[in-house]
Amino acid sequence: MRSRGWLAIAGVVVLGVALSLLLQERYHHRVLTLVFLWAAMGLSWNIISGYAGQISFGHQVFFGIGAYVTVLLVVKAGLTPWIGMAVAMAAAVLAAVLIGLPTFRLAGIYFGLATLAYPLIFRIVMDWLGYQEVAVPMVRDRPGWFMQFTDPRSFDLLALAVLAATLVLSRAIETSRLGYRLRAVKENEQAAEAMGVDAFRSKMAAHMLSAAPAAVVGAVYVHAILFIVTPEAVFGLLVISQTLVVSLVGGTGTLWGPLIGAAVMVPVSEVLDSTVGDRLPGIQGVVYGAALMLITLYAPEGLYWRVRQAWQARAARGALLSRGEIAAPAEAAAAAGPGATVLLDVRGVSKSFLGLQALADVSFEVREREILGVIGPNGAGKTTLFNVLNGFLIPDAGDVRLGGEIVTGLRPSALCRRGVGRTFQVVRTFPRLTVLENVMVGAFVRTGGVEPARGIARAALVQVGLADRAGALPAGLTTLDLRLMELARCLATSPRLVLLDEPLAGLSGDGVAVMIAVIRGVRARGATVVIIEHTLQALLRLADRLVVLDQGRRLADGAPEAVTREPAVIEAYLGQRWLARMGSPAC
Amino acid sequence: MPAPYRALSLFLALVLLAAVSPAPLPAADDVKIALVAPLSGRWARQGQLKKMGADMAIEEINGQGGIKALGGAKLVLREADAGDSVEKAVSAAQRVLTRDKISAGIGSWLSSFTLGVTEVAERLQVPWLSLSYADSITERGFKYTFQTSPVSSVQAEQALDLVVDLGKKHGRPIKRAAIVGDNTAATVFFFKPLREKLLAAKGIELVVDEVWTPPLADATAIVQKLRATQPDIMFYGGTNFPDSIQVLQKIKEFGVKTPIQGVGAWLVTPEYVKAVGKELLDNIQSVVAAHPMKGQDELVKKFVQRTGEPFMTQDPLCTYAHVWLIKEAIEQAKSADPKAIRDALAKIDVSAGPATSAFYPPRVKFDERGRRIGAAPLIVQWQGGEPFTVVPAAVATRAIAFHK
Amino acid sequence: MPWAELVQYVATGLLVGGVYALMSIGLALIFGVMRVVNFAQGDFMMLGMYLTYFYAVAGAIDPLLGAVLTIPPFFVLGWLVHRGLLARVTGGGDPQRQMDAQLILTLGLSLVITNAATMILTPTPRGIRTAYATRAFALGPVLLNQARSYAFAMALVLAVAVYVFLTRTDAGKALRAAADDPEAAAYQAIDVRAMHGLAFGTGIALVAAAGGLLAAYYPIEPNVAGNFIVLMFVAVVLGGLGSIPGAFVGGLVIGLVQSLTLLVLPFQLQNTGVFIAFLLVLYLRPQGLFGRRARTV
Repeated sequence: MRSRGWLAIAGVVVLGVALSLLLQERYHHRVLTLVFLWAAMGLSWNIISGYAGQISFGHQVFFGIGAYVTVLLVVKAGLTPWIGMAVAMAAAVLAAVLIGLPTFRLAGIYFGLATLAYPLIFRIVMDWLGYQEVAVPMVRDRPGWFMQFTDPRSFDLLALAVLAATLVLSRAIETSRLGYRLRAVKENEQAAEAMGVDAFRSKMAAHMLSAAPAAVVGAVYVHAILFIVTPEAVFGLLVISQTLVVSLVGGTGTLWGPLIGAAVMVPVSEVLDSTVGDRLPGIQGVVYGAALMLITLYAPEGLYWRVRQAWQARAARGALLSRGEIAAPAEAAAAAGPGATVLLDVRGVSKSFLGLQALADVSFEVREREILGVIGPNGAGKTTLFNVLNGFLIPDAGDVRLGGEIVTGLRPSALCRRGVGRTFQVVRTFPRLTVLENVMVGAFVRTGGVEPARGIARAALVQVGLADRAGALPAGLTTLDLRLMELARCLATSPRLVLLDEPLAGLSGDGVAVMIAVIRGVRARGATVVIIEHTLQALLRLADRLVVLDQGRRLADGAPEAVTREPAVIEAYLGQRWLARMGSPAC
Repeated sequence: MPAPYRALSLFLALVLLAAVSPAPLPAADDVKIALVAPLSGRWARQGQLKKMGADMAIEEINGQGGIKALGGAKLVLREADAGDSVEKAVSAAQRVLTRDKISAGIGSWLSSFTLGVTEVAERLQVPWLSLSYADSITERGFKYTFQTSPVSSVQAEQALDLVVDLGKKHGRPIKRAAIVGDNTAATVFFFKPLREKLLAAKGIELVVDEVWTPPLADATAIVQKLRATQPDIMFYGGTNFPDSIQVLQKIKEFGVKTPIQGVGAWLVTPEYVKAVGKELLDNIQSVVAAHPMKGQDELVKKFVQRTGEPFMTQDPLCTYAHVWLIKEAIEQAKSADPKAIRDALAKIDVSAGPATSAFYPPRVKFDERGRRIGAAPLIVQWQGGEPFTVVPAAVATRAIAFHK
Repeated sequence: MPWAELVQYVATGLLVGGVYALMSIGLALIFGVMRVVNFAQGDFMMLGMYLTYFYAVAGAIDPLLGAVLTIPPFFVLGWLVHRGLLARVTGGGDPQRQMDAQLILTLGLSLVITNAATMILTPTPRGIRTAYATRAFALGPVLLNQARSYAFAMALVLAVAVYVFLTRTDAGKALRAAADDPEAAAYQAIDVRAMHGLAFGTGIALVAAAGGLLAAYYPIEPNVAGNFIVLMFVAVVLGGLGSIPGAFVGGLVIGLVQSLTLLVLPFQLQNTGVFIAFLLVLYLRPQGLFGRRARTV
């Protein structure tokens, strides 16, 4: 099944060669070359904007750098563009690093609009430097050495080669660990971080990988299509427009998208230009614009996804199979309780937001293989505490030590690699990844290969009893299954410490029972568990110890029976009636 | 089926129909000339003006019996829309030159488009005429590109001479000059020699040098400097219409009296009158490659009647002349073959007739680079809402006016 | 540098910025409420310029008044465009896909409008000749162009009107509710889709009015949007996406930066000053000057 993708790419190359040989008219060859080049450009954009989900409106900065560096090297140094291209690629990758470093701090549309600025700055600077119109000097003897071919087929094949290389690159990313990580970051960056994915490094890798092909496309484009370089032609808005059209019409997040988009939109544009455009100038723009609008209405997510959806009858409604057996822990050490060594040591942690003291000098310890419950009224600071433990927040004061090592201030992905796993109050899935793929993201913390990750993920799913739902999408899962999936994902990272944020919320009695069993199993395999919960009954069955927080302060700390009888706790949280109820054993 | 699907199907049907519907076929022995110019997008106005000139010439030629050497063969214009990008311009050239047997071509107004288009023409070996001023057009060692306008650097030198002479003659010697304009290619090629040597050679001090990248946000900073220094002349290159309007309005607003010497025919188009009014424009001059000269009243009247344009300017005039020049070359080559026409153009030497109507001095002979030998610019001046050729006096249609 | 000259640079920048500011408010409203990046915003401005030109030519109506008169028809136009096109791809479902779809939708719309305008209205530039375009108020040594000053004043009035509408009227509050939390708004019986239509209509009307004011001193042609669209986006992001006062201030800041850049950089690099300032603001304060939530990772 995996080789099907590579075969398809080979098929595209063969088709491209065939078209190149079949077409006769010079103009048709130009259109073919344009299709290949714009498809490649769309694919390169797709790496950062489709796979990584960081929509860029400034991708043409690499295209322009590729074009200008190559041509200026020809003009000023007489360097052949075959080598100049490599230099241009390096320049573009460097630019990707320099641009990414500051700009990745921004998210979503802010990132996109910030990227807009870079090519526009280049455009102005190139004009200022006097490079308004740089012509590629025509070389009449040994033109091939300077990428100047007389036979238009040569340009087709060159463009096809660039396209093929970009397809191979895209596929390689898709099927690699980076690909999974990028999708995770795209779907839910915070969850990905919590699962050990260093979002910044992944995005930067994608950025660099997207810059290189764009630069090559730019270099070839100048030699095959433009013959001269102007700042407007390579850094201007028309380039990113065309890139967006090709990628979004075809569909993002897949290498077929830009391919389809280019194969459809470029010929449509040229057909319009050559038929009605010359006779009624301007009409081609109207029709093309109308075409874009119609396609968007018909296939908002792109032609590829639309067609695929129509072809595959998505059987998301799996019959309610019997829940898979929850795997019993192998060791007979199932009865083993908490150990003596302290795994997590929280000392004097304080955190305030805009004057509100969320945590005030909170200290407690968690021993190995302990199940610690954290309770308290709403707004007590429980989730804030988790956010500190897991790296999403840096405390104003205090330390967190994991296994003796100070870990305060590390990013979530670094903490995950050190063995801190977490689930969230509201389940954070990667919606367009299957259950198995969701869990694999966690597995990638421990392995670089896709197959081993799959194995680890399957094992985690078996451990929580969700193996039968491996191929389903999160959208079709019940609350219990979602929570189990999130837990499995966390377990796939082989955590020493598992932070569960209200794992029982929204579950019915049966669900609670299943979850409790799974949590016990987690501890039985040697992990330490800290749980935030409101459902006190369940927690009393599960927890070895309780920590009570109220208004950011640690109110109590100790065995459940003792803690729940402390007057301060009753006053702040439980209430007298609860005590009365607990007194009469009805449960 | 739902509305978007229906609309999509209808649209696809229309596209298909358009693709397969044939264009009217010219007779087999018609001679085809290509015009690649921006007919849609930002520069559509300029392209359309060129087309007007070409159409008029073709109608005249065919009306007078077509190409005699080819037995009265008719000329046909094949226009291709260069759009608003170099990619589209070069595609248009490729398209038109490979779909038809084109004997010669004209275009494309914007120097970057012309550079790209002539690359195609050179490779496909079709002779190409251009009115662009940029020096770079004929500095590439091409054999098929012919540039009839004096190049910018030459214009700079000659225009400066003319302007200095005028100043001396009318008792207003030029001691201090300003350079104001954008950084488009032709303007840059004009300003560079001025700034680097020509002004100094005449002992003229450059007191204001302000070049912007279009679009211009506001002209206050520039005009403030003009007001502060009061130069004797301002060389002006604001080729982008909205930028230029802002500068002119600001000059009036600040009461700057410096005489304006434009660089290019963009300053003498009818839309200026509508935008700022004729009083503001009075006495403004511009250096151009072509403008209707003495004795061309009939030609201008015909053009005005045909098109409804208030007057005739460089673009239609040059294109008109280019078509006639190609006709001359075909007559001399006795063939519609592009290579033969190219050779004829390389040897051609005409000094009379409509083929020279746009050129000063009225002689067309090209050097080995493709530049018109002896090409010299004209100076045109706005008077009463219309631009007239004023210098050289021999071909002037009005006497030059000097403001008080 | 003499202080008078410096004041002139500042005044010039603010006057230029005033109209950028009004252009940007419409975009900010649309983005703030609908999360739509409207690529066709500049083209609606262009249409507003043409309508104002028509008012001037046919009815001898001064463009400053003409600008206000563009508001009703363009509000209706905006509402219809939303109803017929945008509503089909926004307002529900996967936000990622929506973003992709509305980018292309508005891009296509922009192409249609610009090219249709070129064909129907012809590419010949037009201009409205007003007496005050070439006159200035003299404030001591500082000259304030009259046309731009009037335009600035009108822009301010319209911006304040929008602000009052959003903060004092029920419809305005409903609009802001729909922007902040569509789900919660729906629970409050606020018709989110109608709110989007309202926002889009208002956004289009505002940018058309801005175009009308611009037409008092700037030539009108079908492709005029190209000179302003990037600046509009920069202003909106600078101010903080979704903040109306922010977009206004953002526009002013851009005008100021453009003007003051001339004091440090060569003229040709004027707009790089804007882009560099833009990037600096985003790095130091990612939510923009007035943005509410930090949009960082």
